[in-house]
Amino acid sequence: MSDQLKDKHQRRERRTVKVPSDGSHGVRVKEATIRKNTDSVSIVSSMDELGHHDENTRMVVTMENTYQTAPHKRFPVPAVTHILKDVLSSYLQQEKYEVEWSQKMTKTICEVIRARVKDLMIPRYKIVVLVHIGQQAGQSMQMSSRCLWDATTDSFACYSFTNSSLFGVATVYGVYFE
Amino acid sequence: MDEYQTEEETAFIVEDVSKIIKESVEAAIGGSTYQHSRVNQWTTSVVEQCLSQLSKLGKPFKYIVTCIIMQKNGAGLQTASACFWDNSTDGKMNHYIIENTVLNYHTLGKLQARIHR
Repeated sequence: MSDQLKDKHQRRERRTVKVPSDGSHGVRVKEATIRKNTDSVSIVSSMDELGHHDENTRMVVTMENTYQTAPHKRFPVPAVTHILKDVLSSYLQQEKYEVEWSQKMTKTICEVIRARVKDLMIPRYKIVVLVHIGQQAGQSMQMSSRCLWDATTDSFACYSFTNSSLFGVATVYGVYFE
Repeated sequence: MDEYQTEEETAFIVEDVSKIIKESVEAAIGGSTYQHSRVNQWTTSVVEQCLSQLSKLGKPFKYIVTCIIMQKNGAGLQTASACFWDNSTDGKMNHYIIENTVLNYHTLGKLQARIHR
């Protein structure tokens, strides 16, 4: 038995920029030494020197308050279930379980599902996709999942597919993020 | 007004979380052998314990905990996950335990919940 997990993709749509007038001291000092002549509020580069976060040199932008307290469009469970059913059936229909093939297949299916759910364009939702493919060998198993989230905005969809030699389960969680 | 959350509040302490998972699994299952009639109860209690311990940490996170308990039969299992989130604030960890007849595999995902002050 082996398992591989993959963690992908940053959200590039969300950026925050530290504006010097907001009073983050580290940034201020940096601005003063580097750009002595500019009076205007400007964008600071490289968050790295503040010792914050990542190895990325992403710029950090503060977004304006939109005063939106709830999602305009919720996570569409039936649509996502339909996507899962579609993808799993088409990829796994006539296949037999083989170790290497199924390793590649789980990753592929995961990525395909994520791409299709992203295409649904549900704003402000973070997506987590889990795919399990296993061999049918008369064993017994139980999968369960529980979440600590906001039940009014967050949801999940799942679908399982079986044939004579394998089974596949896909789960998608959609979590609202303000 | 600053909406910054301090490093301590948003840090994901791997050792703490992994300890929580291990303890929940041991408490719920211990060294028992696989019993189909009890497995439902096991998965539920493992996941519930995990989640309650995590919520006690008091961090501003939403959690997703998944548990798979499988009988050791020589069958293969592949798992993959793909996520669309913000890498700097969100993360996941996995943990698996194999005993005599039972394979127990956990995935825990945490996503930042913004707290407005």
